[in-house]
Amino acid sequence: MGLLTNLKDSVSRVTDRLFASEDPKRIGIYGPPNAGKTTLANRIARDWTGDAIGPESHVPHETRRARRKEGVDIERNGQSVTIDIVDTPGVATKVDYKEFLDHDIEKDDAIRRSREATEGVAEAMHWLREDVDGVIYVLDSTTDPFTQVNTMLIGIIESRDLPVLIFANKIDLDQADIDRVADAFPEHETVPLSALEGDNMDEVYDKIAEYFA
Amino acid sequence: MPHQCTNCGHVFPDGSKEMLSGCPDCGGNKFQFKQGSVDDVEADTSDQPAGDSDPQPTGGSEPTSGPEPDASTTPDTTASTDSPASDPTPSPEAPTDSERSDAELMESDTADAEESPAQSSARSDVVSSDELPDSPPDAASTADADEPTTESEETAESSGLNQLRSELNDQFESIRIVSPGEYELNLMELYDRNEYIISLREDGRYIIEVPDSWDTDMPS
Repeated sequence: MGLLTNLKDSVSRVTDRLFASEDPKRIGIYGPPNAGKTTLANRIARDWTGDAIGPESHVPHETRRARRKEGVDIERNGQSVTIDIVDTPGVATKVDYKEFLDHDIEKDDAIRRSREATEGVAEAMHWLREDVDGVIYVLDSTTDPFTQVNTMLIGIIESRDLPVLIFANKIDLDQADIDRVADAFPEHETVPLSALEGDNMDEVYDKIAEYFA
Repeated sequence: MPHQCTNCGHVFPDGSKEMLSGCPDCGGNKFQFKQGSVDDVEADTSDQPAGDSDPQPTGGSEPTSGPEPDASTTPDTTASTDSPASDPTPSPEAPTDSERSDAELMESDTADAEESPAQSSARSDVVSSDELPDSPPDAASTADADEPTTESEETAESSGLNQLRSELNDQFESIRIVSPGEYELNLMELYDRNEYIISLREDGRYIIEVPDSWDTDMPS
């Protein structure tokens, strides 16, 4: 990103802040299933409010309804930034109950989960369209970021001109490749972290305060 | 295809925009296809699974209770339950099963005949039927074959479900039901739409959530 672009972004962020309404920004946590969105949402919520947002799981599509935590005050450099966090269901273009069968889930329950997950994706897309002021896009840095879902969602976010941060999650794992994530979306800021282990959370909060204040 | 409010039974003519802002009678936001109006399927589908397999407490209350016993399971469980299911349904048309019964719905159709220009906007982007997945021809043909065994009932039932499924797909291409529990999602369609299908049942029922009400049940 060029110097001028950086400057422009900084200025626009400052002016946005000056003229912002009192309402806290609503920040949507988006990404594909199993990227660690809920783990991150819980980490942020626990760090600043003491509460969790939702259950974490290795089973994909564990989050099938958007969950919101309001009034999360993040203190940075002597200032306080208040945001509402929306943890959204993982976005996918296909949902198949068979993927749940590997996780010791009965067929009937798997079919129900599948349907709920599908509804969850629809809900997530709705929120993206109307109800979020900024996006934290979470990616599993051990997997290939060049996917249809990622490309499409980032494209939508860009078309809405929403501020977005790319979080390369799971850097505690050996296979993590932060550069691959950064290279996939070079026009956006990529922040490495491990939401599970709490690695690099200081930078995470710095960036959240900078982008979404 | 006409729709019916699952809460009070109010019937909306095919393409009515009325239901997009909730049921005018009871304010409900849960609707179902009036299956009986599909000519070709009327025999098998109409009656059927939707009615019986569900605990069908019919009345006004049950539909609103969200995670009701999955209709999605119907296709699978049919083998065991269908025989009793399919027989009685065709005739009992109205009485006890009240709102769901197809015959009753068919009548009210004609009453509502004043077709508004449909949710043309909602349907305008729909793909043509040839692009639709596969409304398994096998199932349909086997159903026609009228095998005497219980298997025939099962296939007939599933052919009806398949047809309903394809009709659902036809109207709401944003979510394609490939088979029970298997979905394909068109993210751009989901993003672009004003109204959203937020609950799907494989027997052809679905809920449309009016945009205004999205916030209401969000836990804070």
